[in-house]
Amino acid sequence: MSGEILGIVLRRIAVAIPLMLLVSILVFIVLRLIPADPVAMSMPPNATNEDIEALRREMGLHLPVMHQYAIWLGHILEGDLGRSIAFGQPVFKLIGQSLPATIELAAFGALFATAIGLPGGILLFRLRGRPSEQAVDVGSTLMMSIPEFLWALFLILVFGVAFNLLPFAGRLPPDMTIPKVTGFLLLDCLLTGDFTAFLEAIRHMLLPALALALGTVPLIMRLLRSSLLDVIGEDYVTMARLRGVPERRVVNRHALRNALLPTLSLMGVQFGFLFGGTLLVEVIYSYPGLGNLMVEAVRNTDLPIIQGAALVFALAVLTINLAVDVVYIVVNPKLRRAR
Amino acid sequence: MSAAAVAGENPLRRALRSGRVVVGGSILLILLFCAVAAPLIAPYDPNEQDLLNALKGPFWSDNAEPGFWLGTDNLGRDTLSRLIYGTRVALFVAVCAAVGTMLFGTMLALLAGYFGGVVDWIISRAVDLWMSFPPVVLSLILIVGFGVGIGNVILAIILVDWTRFCRVVRSEVLVIRRQNYVDAARLSGFSHLRTMVREVLPAAAPLIITLMSLEMGIAVIVEAILSFVGMSVEASIPAWGVMIADARNYMYQSAWGLVLPILAIVTTVLAFNLLGDGLRRTFDARLQQH
Repeated sequence: MSGEILGIVLRRIAVAIPLMLLVSILVFIVLRLIPADPVAMSMPPNATNEDIEALRREMGLHLPVMHQYAIWLGHILEGDLGRSIAFGQPVFKLIGQSLPATIELAAFGALFATAIGLPGGILLFRLRGRPSEQAVDVGSTLMMSIPEFLWALFLILVFGVAFNLLPFAGRLPPDMTIPKVTGFLLLDCLLTGDFTAFLEAIRHMLLPALALALGTVPLIMRLLRSSLLDVIGEDYVTMARLRGVPERRVVNRHALRNALLPTLSLMGVQFGFLFGGTLLVEVIYSYPGLGNLMVEAVRNTDLPIIQGAALVFALAVLTINLAVDVVYIVVNPKLRRAR
Repeated sequence: MSAAAVAGENPLRRALRSGRVVVGGSILLILLFCAVAAPLIAPYDPNEQDLLNALKGPFWSDNAEPGFWLGTDNLGRDTLSRLIYGTRVALFVAVCAAVGTMLFGTMLALLAGYFGGVVDWIISRAVDLWMSFPPVVLSLILIVGFGVGIGNVILAIILVDWTRFCRVVRSEVLVIRRQNYVDAARLSGFSHLRTMVREVLPAAAPLIITLMSLEMGIAVIVEAILSFVGMSVEASIPAWGVMIADARNYMYQSAWGLVLPILAIVTTVLAFNLLGDGLRRTFDARLQQH
């Protein structure tokens, strides 16, 4: 079985590689449209025309576009994403510093979304046909109308400003520092044995992760409910009922197992979106991750960072989709045998 | 009432019986009125500053200032007037972006679903490519490429969100394509174009209308996000996202300045979602039986 799964993973990676190449072309082309001139931005105002021309040649801007793309791609494959115009540091290093924070945040967001969404979906399903269904339904439509960045602001207002319960800026209190081992803060706290910092890091993570999760929860709830509605009419469910299995057990043991599969595959797509949602949430919570880096770069028109961050976001989404596909195949024996 | 009796009825009347459609539609009509009549109903010019009356609260709060019903922002601009003018940007972007997304996405979906084969393969791979970007990231890099301005925001939303239409409508077209009447149309000598537009498209119309309503809500959110990071409309145009970004720096002094534009966005998106949800339920036979 593991060999079979390995084969599937390799096949998916083989599909992902040309996709990633196309992504890089797309990023390159879009950012070539940019009205700002990268040469002018990195020159002092008193530069002469000869200086500008020299820099253009140095940056390869006199070459045909496809040639420029080939050079750019070659550098990326060597791990060179260029230098940030604003910070003067290699983009690779800047992204490497901020990516662990984003991964940590997105992982917690996904965890919260699952922990709230799945029981919520079952609840929604159990309430079918009851008078309270309408109220819960309208409630979930209302929740669907609140994107994560508004949740982020709303949670700050309630838990940060009004009740002052939780912090909402950064990953740690300003007077606390943790030596960098892996870049993943929670892991570093544990590795250095600093449990106070660990708890603080969790406290700082709660609101942004919850904001991310709340943007996804109603979708998971609705998805699970409609999957449950689909399987509840199946023969094996009826059979279980006829055997006198209690309703709760029918739902939890018989229906849920099969209803979870389509939910799981769509949750993968949602977690890809959730990863993108970190962008705004990080900005709002001054969270030093990839999204914050990218929005800052957008404001400064810092092209190399924008390109690098966009590529990493796309790579992350493809990786998440791949991971979910693999989990899907592992938990779904039907699919496994069919291949 | 039996499903057959419902199906025979005028779809508009059937939709109007849905509470969701009525509530969503009514909210949208009010918002539309605000947008169109903004100069008539807004008490102040949205950009008029009154620095002596900055950061005032709404009329029910302690530091209210008579004349500024919903308070003022950090520059003393009237919140109510800015909210009313903000509906213009929100609805304009919502309608234009949704229509554009619908046209572009549906066209590709029709081609892919109707012709199948290579056309379908190419379009489906393009959708895969697009879906590998988080929508926010893609719209940001597009705006960086195009530059700010309301037209570019609309263009960016269309170029990001066409995949939503394309994916869903394509699978619907695949089903419709197999119906006998489509073959009949071809056999009686209809051209491909005519078959697509006259036979396939009307069958997918309920789905398309529903998707459009939901897309308008999404467009409102995307515009607010871009406004929030300062990448949407020019600074002189009042937009809800800009109001949020401004008010965020003063939330300790005046939380309402932040809450009100958030409420405006949520209400608008909710209205579009209620309308879309209600329409979907009206059209979807499976849901009617539940």
